[in-house]
Amino acid sequence: MAELYRSDVIPATATRVWSVVRDFNALPLWTPFVASSRIEGGMPADRVGCVRNFRLRDGGVIREKLLMLDDHAHACTYAILEAPMPVTNYVATLRLSPVARDGACFAEWTAEFDCAAADEPALLRQIGDGVFATALTHLRQRFGGRA
Amino acid sequence: MIKVDTSTIIDAPIEDVWALIRDFNSHVHWHPAIAASHIEDGRTGDAVGAIRAFHLTTGEALREELLSLSDAERSFSYRILTSDVPLLNYTAHVTLRPVTASARTYWRWWSRFDTAPGQEAELEQTVREGVYHAGFDAVSARLCG
Repeated sequence: MAELYRSDVIPATATRVWSVVRDFNALPLWTPFVASSRIEGGMPADRVGCVRNFRLRDGGVIREKLLMLDDHAHACTYAILEAPMPVTNYVATLRLSPVARDGACFAEWTAEFDCAAADEPALLRQIGDGVFATALTHLRQRFGGRA
Repeated sequence: MIKVDTSTIIDAPIEDVWALIRDFNSHVHWHPAIAASHIEDGRTGDAVGAIRAFHLTTGEALREELLSLSDAERSFSYRILTSDVPLLNYTAHVTLRPVTASARTYWRWWSRFDTAPGQEAELEQTVREGVYHAGFDAVSARLCG
């Protein structure tokens, strides 16, 4: 089981940032690498169990299922159903916590997955830096943070 | 029941913050409100169940018990046993998390307690500002100053 953790500080309240990332269909709005996204079967994006089907700018298609959505803890958990990356049992959680004293929020993104041992270092780098850290940087800049 | 829940970002790596605050008796070295402190019964400050007996710079005496300590989660919790300050049923938690994007540290410090009727606002402010925020500032100044 490979484990990933990336975190960043976003210069806006958790409530404001959550209003952007809560939408399970909004990856094209707040990440730089997703070109388009739809929820399968016409389901609402906040219905637990819904599947987002999105296309990356490099052409790859990923399908992910919403497993948990928590408006109190500002967190969501999802699993990959299909992806170009050679991973199985992939489950990830994005969580926002208030940085109470600074009016900011602390964003944490974790993932666990299985893969071939030979693929693990590249996948940890690709998903950790290429996906999670890149998206968090984009989110920070969207709310006025430094590059 | 009063709840105080506050958090900040320290501009230092989590290893440095944890090394400074992990020991239950370390507060005498970094918190400006603590005048003197010792662990009772010859135990160490990282023994769960250890009791720290201390005096504030304003003179009040308190005794607190370490309830949990996790090097994996970089967290600990404790409760007040006896106190000259009217904090009743006081249990507090400290947890650190790494900010991987910038090698900094997220620090959350929260508690629940009761106090005498009419003193809620004053005690809430004392705990939030005089204890937690003063602690944040002192650790920041020490590690980043």
